[in-house]
Amino acid sequence: MRLFGIETEYGITRDDVAEVDPVVESMELVRAHLEASFKRRWDYAGEDPHEDARGFRVSGLQQDREEDEFATRDAHRPFSFHDMKSDLVLPNGARFYNDHTHPEYSTPECRTLKDLVAQDRAGERVLLRAAQRRNKVLGGDHVRLYKNNTDFHGHSYGCHDNYLVARSIPFPNLVAGLVPFLVSRQVIAGAGKVGTEAQESGYVPGRYQLSQRADFMEAELGVDTMHNRPILNTRDEPHADREKYRRLHLIIGDANMCEYATALKVGTTQLVLDLIERGAAPVCELDHPVTAVKQLSRDPDLKTVVTLRDGRKLSALDIQELFCESASRIFSGTDEEIDWLLREWSEALSLLSQDRSRLVGKLDWVTKQWLLESFMREEQIGWDDPWLASLDLEYHNVHPEQGLYLGLEAEGKAWRMTTDEAIEEAMWNGPTDTRGGLRGLCVQRFPDQIKSMQWERIQFTGGIRSRSLDMGDLFDPKEVRECAHIFQVASSPSDALAAWSHRKDRAI
Amino acid sequence: MNQSTMPERREGPVDPMPQSPRPEEGGGPRRQETGSPEKENLMKRMRKVDPKQAERYRQRTGE
Repeated sequence: MRLFGIETEYGITRDDVAEVDPVVESMELVRAHLEASFKRRWDYAGEDPHEDARGFRVSGLQQDREEDEFATRDAHRPFSFHDMKSDLVLPNGARFYNDHTHPEYSTPECRTLKDLVAQDRAGERVLLRAAQRRNKVLGGDHVRLYKNNTDFHGHSYGCHDNYLVARSIPFPNLVAGLVPFLVSRQVIAGAGKVGTEAQESGYVPGRYQLSQRADFMEAELGVDTMHNRPILNTRDEPHADREKYRRLHLIIGDANMCEYATALKVGTTQLVLDLIERGAAPVCELDHPVTAVKQLSRDPDLKTVVTLRDGRKLSALDIQELFCESASRIFSGTDEEIDWLLREWSEALSLLSQDRSRLVGKLDWVTKQWLLESFMREEQIGWDDPWLASLDLEYHNVHPEQGLYLGLEAEGKAWRMTTDEAIEEAMWNGPTDTRGGLRGLCVQRFPDQIKSMQWERIQFTGGIRSRSLDMGDLFDPKEVRECAHIFQVASSPSDALAAWSHRKDRAI
Repeated sequence: MNQSTMPERREGPVDPMPQSPRPEEGGGPRRQETGSPEKENLMKRMRKVDPKQAERYRQRTGE
């Protein structure tokens, strides 16, 4: 398995004020996580959204103008841009901050699906507890948080899945293999949505569709992530040794409530990356991918076919089956997790065409459709009733006594990969076999001796020797554990860095 | 609050991945029956949702 992670921007609102200020609310929510005052430690040096994976640097993004407008609008506020971002690194190695007025939780890097799902769900709990603390200050249960991707007024915010990929894979190969896979992936990973909308334009109630994000896809490839959003994002921010790695940063995905959908979404994508790496991905390039992603999303009966460049006409299930069959042929028997994944992927595709009811509690769009149709029958209302958009929204509410998905889960009707104990554990400890867990360990052990952090580097204060832990190429699980052991037993970061440097010198 | 140790992942035989529960096994997704107590609870929760909630809900565009 390769390294992967998920970043989720949450929707945030308050029900006790007429006008919600999303900048302040997101900032206050993130800071409510803290017991002490906020200290700025995140280092933005490794972030440049203008680098394009196709080998060039764009001079400007459409979102730059919006950022400038926000900066002007927010200039009167009594805090700086960095204070507003309130970047935190948590003891599990996750990043929690205010991104474009949405509280965002980025899991630590994971190597197994079990870890990933637990860390993703730990994010829901981190957000929930921050909201509970914020609500204490507000004097009521006012802050609501939604793990979804749309506000039903033409605004979308993302859930991004990330994968470490060898830079040796030619980018055109990634495009050819991934675009048809991602366009069709919504049959297993879509979160479901009532009605349709487009970027910055009106919402049309009515028909049910598979995906929250499909409406907002406007390009096949591109580096803009707030406007003209691409099916395959070409942003080139590896957060690792640039010579060796890419970070595939996908913005097309929906935020999933179902653990099964999260596991299938990330697991199947990494298998497709493995296929591409071996030159074994099925050839099924789409004629019009941007049109196709919307057409497929808007047909919950899954009968729609799209045209391929070679003239074939395939449904989303057909395309997924091609990828699933190729992966099964090549990766079957690799390890237990991959065997589970191949089996479940195949079964989910089969059930989607045969007995969809067995996927309630496993796939979000199926679960939400079942809930809404049950409600419509009870209340004698149609798809155009505005109540349904509200129910759609509440499906994603992370409050256990309000959220519709969490209600279903509490009834034991949702499939679980985690346990409540595993989620609680994941809030405090990252995976032991990735740099994410190591990052979290440093936060736990040396919180006052960290000068700055970014994904691939930790800079410590004090000492006369080397003061940075460089993790740009620290991906071997054995090495990660050795490094973690050193940081676990050392009395100071300086001692740990010296011991780690000595160990690496001996290994050369 | 913080746990200061980084527990070792269990070695040896890996935990089996959970199997998909079959409907007859209980505890997992199943064909839903009209009028079951669980469904009634969910319907109650759904009826409590303010029909205007989505109309009032507004966010800024994110990434």
